[in-house]
Amino acid sequence: MTGFDKNSLTRRTLLKAGSALAVATPLIGFAAPAVLAQGQTKSPTKVLDFMTNADVAKAEQEGQLVFYCHENEAGTAGIMQGFSKDFPKIKTSYVRAQTGALYNKILSERSAGRFDVDVIQLSDLAPAVDFQKKGGYEHYVSPESHAYKPDNLSTPVGSFFWTGVDPAGIAYNTDKVSSADAPKTWHDILNPKFKGHISAKISASGLQFVQWYCLREMYGDKFWKEFAKQNAHAFDSRVQLFDRLAKGDDMITSIGEYPAYILFKSKGAKVEFVAPPDGLVATPLIVGAVSKAPHPEASKLFVDWAMSKRGQAWYQTNPNLYYGSVRTDAPPMPTGVKLSDFKLIYPKDWDEYAKTRDVFSKEWNSMIGL
Amino acid sequence: MDATKPTQPHIEVRNLEMFYGGVPAVRGVSFDVQTGEQLTLLGPSGCGKTTTLRAIAGLEKPTAGEILIDGKPVYSSTRGVNIPAEKRGLSMVFQSYAIWPHMTVFDNVAYGLRVRRTAAAEIKERVGNALSLVQMSEYADRSASQLSGGQQQRVALARAFVFSPSVLLFDEPLSNLDAKLRADMRIELRDLQHRLGITSVYVTHDLEEALAMSDRIVVMRGGLVEQTGSPDEIYRLPSSAFVADFVGSANLIRGKHRADLDNGDLTALETAVGQIVYGMAYGRSVGDDIEFSVRTVHLRISHERPAGSINVWPARIEQTVFQGDFTQVHIGWGGQHLIARCAAMEPIEAGQEIFIAVEPKRVVLLGPANPRPSQ
Amino acid sequence: MPSTGSPLSVQKMAGYGVAAVAAVLVLYPVFYLLQAALDVGDPQVRPPTEYGLDNFSGILQYPQILLNTLTVSVAATVMALVFGFVMAWILARTNVPGRKIFEQLMAVPYYLTPLLGALAWSLLGSPESGFINQVWRAIGGSGAIIDVNTPYGIAWVMALFEGSVAFVMIAAVMKSMDPSLEEASQVMGASRLRTMLRVTLPLVTPGILGAAIFVFAEMLGSFAVALVLGTPNRFYVITTAIYQLTQQYPPKIQTAAAMGVSLFAVMFVMLFLYRRVVKAGSYVTITGKAFRPRVADVGALRYFLLGICVLYLLAAVALPILTLLFASFQKIAVAFPTADNFTLNNFRMAMSMNAARSALGNSLLLGFGTATVGIVLMGLLAWLIYRSRLPGAGAIEYVVMFPQAVPRLVFAFGMMWAWVVFPIPIYGTLWLLLIAYVTVFLPLGVRTIASVMMQIDKSLEECAQMCGASWTFRTRTVTVPLLIPGLVAAWLLLFIASVRELGASILLMGPHSKVITPAIVESWFGTSSELTATLALVQTLVVAAAMVVLVAVTRRIGAQPGD
Repeated sequence: MTGFDKNSLTRRTLLKAGSALAVATPLIGFAAPAVLAQGQTKSPTKVLDFMTNADVAKAEQEGQLVFYCHENEAGTAGIMQGFSKDFPKIKTSYVRAQTGALYNKILSERSAGRFDVDVIQLSDLAPAVDFQKKGGYEHYVSPESHAYKPDNLSTPVGSFFWTGVDPAGIAYNTDKVSSADAPKTWHDILNPKFKGHISAKISASGLQFVQWYCLREMYGDKFWKEFAKQNAHAFDSRVQLFDRLAKGDDMITSIGEYPAYILFKSKGAKVEFVAPPDGLVATPLIVGAVSKAPHPEASKLFVDWAMSKRGQAWYQTNPNLYYGSVRTDAPPMPTGVKLSDFKLIYPKDWDEYAKTRDVFSKEWNSMIGL
Repeated sequence: MDATKPTQPHIEVRNLEMFYGGVPAVRGVSFDVQTGEQLTLLGPSGCGKTTTLRAIAGLEKPTAGEILIDGKPVYSSTRGVNIPAEKRGLSMVFQSYAIWPHMTVFDNVAYGLRVRRTAAAEIKERVGNALSLVQMSEYADRSASQLSGGQQQRVALARAFVFSPSVLLFDEPLSNLDAKLRADMRIELRDLQHRLGITSVYVTHDLEEALAMSDRIVVMRGGLVEQTGSPDEIYRLPSSAFVADFVGSANLIRGKHRADLDNGDLTALETAVGQIVYGMAYGRSVGDDIEFSVRTVHLRISHERPAGSINVWPARIEQTVFQGDFTQVHIGWGGQHLIARCAAMEPIEAGQEIFIAVEPKRVVLLGPANPRPSQ
Repeated sequence: MPSTGSPLSVQKMAGYGVAAVAAVLVLYPVFYLLQAALDVGDPQVRPPTEYGLDNFSGILQYPQILLNTLTVSVAATVMALVFGFVMAWILARTNVPGRKIFEQLMAVPYYLTPLLGALAWSLLGSPESGFINQVWRAIGGSGAIIDVNTPYGIAWVMALFEGSVAFVMIAAVMKSMDPSLEEASQVMGASRLRTMLRVTLPLVTPGILGAAIFVFAEMLGSFAVALVLGTPNRFYVITTAIYQLTQQYPPKIQTAAAMGVSLFAVMFVMLFLYRRVVKAGSYVTITGKAFRPRVADVGALRYFLLGICVLYLLAAVALPILTLLFASFQKIAVAFPTADNFTLNNFRMAMSMNAARSALGNSLLLGFGTATVGIVLMGLLAWLIYRSRLPGAGAIEYVVMFPQAVPRLVFAFGMMWAWVVFPIPIYGTLWLLLIAYVTVFLPLGVRTIASVMMQIDKSLEECAQMCGASWTFRTRTVTVPLLIPGLVAAWLLLFIASVRELGASILLMGPHSKVITPAIVESWFGTSSELTATLALVQTLVVAAAMVVLVAVTRRIGAQPGD
């Protein structure tokens, strides 16, 4: 076992050197990002309609991409489908689990010296920052980074980026809840008439953590103490929440994700979405290439594709994804709304946020009956 | 067979001991089997006879002792030798016949030859011979699962001797057959054994079988050897009350030795009620408290006092039980019950006063009893 | 060293070889599991930096979960035993029409898997959207007449789909019972009911008790049903709690491991009792003789009993399958179909889902591999434990039976940690799942093969030995041919058990080694219940087709020459 420790030590030192180098990136700016990408000597090339530093021929030779993703089965498959449509020579495979579980998995694999993953997507910034500190991400500055605000990239740039935002408000079943009774503000999810008929997500969910953190910030501790009395049922994914909502098994969900709402609305489900005036809670969906990836060129190519306009369009319009794009030049979502039209609430201090993970897990578990 | 030295027993069992989870099954058994001899281990169930046989076979590992075949140890606790069963060159007929149901009769019999990589033509010939010897030739292609008990028995036998093993072991091979078939097979087996001249060890609890088939009998009881001898010796001169009773039915008469009345070969015994019985010691040492055995068939019954002065007593018939070939007569004699077997002749009825007599040479002094485990 | 002093060299080597393999398979992961349970340091750092018992005291924070687990397990065990006893009695002891067919059908719920049962009953019996409740309200009722999201609802589904083992065990006892014991009672003038209560029941009690302990252990470790039906109602049992605790970040793996370890302490006691009961009881009714069980003529009552059988199979087979079929053709599953709700899209999606397709293929491949590798290893182990009399066989039996005492979900953690650090890179491949399946099914396989082996008279092997056949030769020519029909049945059982496996696979499958049952659970998590229903149906159909082919093939192999 000591061998692993040594390994990780050397890895860490190496990465320190790497990130020191990376700090310089913003100074030099985007003029020559390719120079900074590891082992990259040639300038970015154009593939389809986007720029990449990856060697496409090499990536196709590698022939594979292994993707770890927090997204549900259909969503994960959807992302892979989009990429393989553009690069049919690269076979894709994936593992999906909720962010918490997925992060555990990759950490225990890496601590045992297993490096099977090329790209990872998480629905929570906290583990992403942690993973960055652990040297988990490959340092790669995509030529597409210029279309993103620094807020939506890792600091320093080159570890990860926000491939989309998943905003959530409240949703309800229109058969079970009249429009008069329908919730309008976040406080309405505390209404006792929804007791036992309200759903939420499990504590492994990144978005749930964000909601808990932000609403606590805004309304104080007693908000969730009140909510605890509602006996909420907790589920793994947004689809499960809307599936139950559509069937009337629950009256409302306290965390109705906009992408799922679009999906179910299009199926003809009797569900309605409420955007509380204080704003929608939102979690970034974080994509980054993983260090020691078995298929390094393919992993870079995927990052570039995901950041590109066509990748973002795919994320934003696939029915199982419907992510809101944070690209500065992003088109509107299928509903015609732009992400920037929503008032979004993020944690103000991401570090502070990351530190409260334990408190959240404990409190949330007891809230949902665990 | 002539080549083997006459002094060298084919099988030697020395102080064999065997424990099952701390419980003794065999507690120090020794005997020899001469080449070509048919030896029988006889005893009631649980006496250790089958365990002993399986130890010779190599199917059980003894706890202590030695087993030698042709002078070479196949098991020895002190020398750390335990040759596996398949390498001992023995063969065995099992109580359950152990006919393999997934093979034909031919394949069953041919098994041992195939193990020995015998040529196909020779297998055919030898299996054919073996099957004709047991009169099963016409069944060769039959599936073994379609045979009757007696047929299975014959196949098991053919299978056991077809590869000319040096020793044949029999584990109660006839016990699953009905009485008539058993009697027939007994003769056949004996006949076959003589023809093949194979050394054999035979286990049974059936006295008639043992007497009819053996050159020598080892009577076992409680994991120990009770007596070893020819069938005649065992029958005529049982060494203990147990053997006397187990080997045919016997009357046992206990009493004090009256050395003053001994007369030549005759040893005198006085029963508790003062009757004097003369018997013979056959070279056995005579103690103070002694015991005689009289076979039930040797007690003669008469209505008139027979001639002779010794071993004649008045007695009274208590009950008679007709048993076909003979009648079992229960006799009250001086506070003791005796049993006599008489060929049915003159009518005898309960309550009659009669005389009983026995020749002194039929009255056998029993040896001192073996120590028995306290159970 | 005296070469003659250590006989059976091949036999011994094979014996100790498989024993060593089994020990490694079982004890290596157990070591990691115990390590995690005693780890009180930073959960992210492995190997642990600090050891203690704090994790165990942590369990008591979850009294509700322990109580839930107990409630569900006891209720499910009782139901399974009642179903099992009634069905076994009807099918083994009465002249109910179509007994043979019903007896075959009784195995179907086992093949259908508890997951499918839970998904179907969730559609049928949810308080709001359940089809039964929708119909109930449509005909004028109010509220819900059935709620499967309650502890008893969960127990009901568990009893239906995980309890079939109770039927198998009780039926076996009933068949091995000397019918003259019952006849004696009837001759003395006792009525049929009185005979059943006073003679049959007491006689099969040891068998039932054995089944009870076994079923209870199964229920404690059951995962799929509680996950699908319990979670929607904030109802967690130990296994689902362990799952949730380990899936969040930071993971409460140590607490989960401690829960698992305490659970196997409980199960160990249960299995110890089971062995005692079975050993004591087996002599009472099972004499080894094959009785032809006497079938009672129950007169007109047989149609009533037939009704019971039909009802049971309706609840456990027909209704679930029809429900899933019905749901799979709808956009949003409701009890009353409408034209605009009809869709073939679910099937289109299920068929096009790459993951599901490769998962199904992997599962069949693994089933094949597990059954084939398993039958050799488990056959040797069964022989080693019950036939060889090599020293230490008893200890090996305990090691082999160990995985029975741990929920597969918990055991999988041990396996994950164990095989992730294993120098040969099998982690994340199908090989890992193969190893995992062979490990967790050791008890099942060894028990099944051993029971077949016990029925073969030992002298058949000994006789071959006396004919001079070496161990390998006699194993090949006598033991294996005689075992083949039993081995074929065991092979099929292992195949099915592997294909339906969930607890271990859900943790151990990797990007290149997906299998079907966890894929269905993931689909339940992340896609619609209609698509999930479709996937479950597709799985059932494919597995059923595979079974038909396999049974046809193995019939040939299993048929004895000359028969």
